[in-house]
Amino acid sequence: MSNNIFSWQRFQLLFRQHFIHNAQLLMLSTGAYVGVIFIVLSLVQVANDLQPHNLENFQGFLIGFVTVFGILYVGHSFPAFRSKESTISYLMIPASPLEKFLFELVVRIALVLLTLPILYWLVFHVQGYFFNVFTDLPFVPVNAQYLVRIDENVPTLVYSLTAGGVLFALSLAFTGSAMFTKQPLVKSLFAVALIVMFFVGYVILVAEYLGLGKYNPPEEMVLVPLDETKALAAVTFALFAGTVVMLFVAYQKLKEREV
Amino acid sequence: MVIIKDLKFTYSRRQDPLFQDLSCELPSGSIVGLLGKNGAGKTSLLKLMIGLLRPTEGFVRIMGHEPAKREPALLQDVYFLPEEFHQPGVSIRSYVRANAGFYPRFDQELLNRLVADFELPDNKKLNQLSYGQKKKFLISFALSTKCRLLVLDEPTNGLDIPSKAIFRRVMAGSLDEDQLVIISTHQVRDVENLIDRVLMLEKGKFIMQKNLYEISSKLHFATTSSPEGENILYHEMVPGGYKVITSQADGSSSVDIELLFNAISNGTEKMKEYVK
Repeated sequence: MSNNIFSWQRFQLLFRQHFIHNAQLLMLSTGAYVGVIFIVLSLVQVANDLQPHNLENFQGFLIGFVTVFGILYVGHSFPAFRSKESTISYLMIPASPLEKFLFELVVRIALVLLTLPILYWLVFHVQGYFFNVFTDLPFVPVNAQYLVRIDENVPTLVYSLTAGGVLFALSLAFTGSAMFTKQPLVKSLFAVALIVMFFVGYVILVAEYLGLGKYNPPEEMVLVPLDETKALAAVTFALFAGTVVMLFVAYQKLKEREV
Repeated sequence: MVIIKDLKFTYSRRQDPLFQDLSCELPSGSIVGLLGKNGAGKTSLLKLMIGLLRPTEGFVRIMGHEPAKREPALLQDVYFLPEEFHQPGVSIRSYVRANAGFYPRFDQELLNRLVADFELPDNKKLNQLSYGQKKKFLISFALSTKCRLLVLDEPTNGLDIPSKAIFRRVMAGSLDEDQLVIISTHQVRDVENLIDRVLMLEKGKFIMQKNLYEISSKLHFATTSSPEGENILYHEMVPGGYKVITSQADGSSSVDIELLFNAISNGTEKMKEYVK
């Protein structure tokens, strides 16, 4: 690749700049994340008569914490775009749009998918062992593989659907941050709500009022899934395709940004 | 170094163009003053030059690059100091550690000297400094990058009187022959004796683009007791007499840029003809 498109050295400089400029904020955010997990796990354990958390609790909280904190964190992507002054500084950094985009993708989405679950796993164990002091009920550690492993009976399609859903939600927050200057997360959710309402309205109009609901489709249709598995596969494909489209939109917004 | 050709720019289709058929060439080794009234489009022109805005028609080239593409090879040789800026909550040392690496010609010794000249505290965080101190730091950083194109938008705004003098001194003493500095300002006194070329912008066009040497060879700037006289092209009343511009007859005089600016903005067609 040409040096004006991607340079590993400039990519590293972006990381160095980010971690020096935001060291304090990153430490505070980590502290807040760890603190909230510890407090919530503790409150729930107290409410359950000090019964230690089990694997089911572990996975339930994992999805909850990573989703909520992940979307909040990814919703702060492209922080420079929140003001005109910082946008100018950001756009003038000697790095290519691709480097800036990949950097943001790594420090937001990749970091969320790696760091948040691992931090959660650590806090879960610290909290579990800490509560051993107050109860005779033993805390059973959870193997780190359960961060990604749900159940042996769950088919691959459900894994893919879950992964597609998480990636779609994160890329939605990511793209919203690249598009909107103020309150990007709220505006992204609002935009999605509008789109969903539009399609629901469209389906009702077509199925109910235009009589498509009375139409009996043939057994084999290429584009319309007729059983549950095919429907799940179609939704999974749509989620991954939607993620790719949204990331492309975010890249274009970054590349074309004017201030 | 900078070539602008038939530039047209409009913020939206409904609005009249801000610039129409703007052309100029700026060579390296000079300090250019971009002058114009408020709202003349000085900042917009600077943004077009460095690629923060895209031309509607025509083109801008810097060192052969199209700035709107924002190629790193160009960005590492261009530093823009905007009038309003954002600075992170880190110390000067940390800021330099985080950002100097992007500029291959960065001169740490020059930065240390400029920080000392401007008497900037190196133990405070940047966001705790006053506006003027922040600006002085950014001017120091900009000069230390040794970028071939430095674009400074109202650099003396917010600087105290001693700092303005230091600014002129460090600007004059820190530049290399291969650098071009474009200073946009409406405080022409602050950049007098510093700039060697003037671009004057009015109603979307350059109404003057001249070297000060050329101006001083054509026009004579003086103070007289009377505004009357055959050769007087423009006059302005000041305490104790009149500042006048006459056609050059015997040798050169230093150019009073503020008077020249007023003369071209408010003066006669004859005056404008002289500087065309």
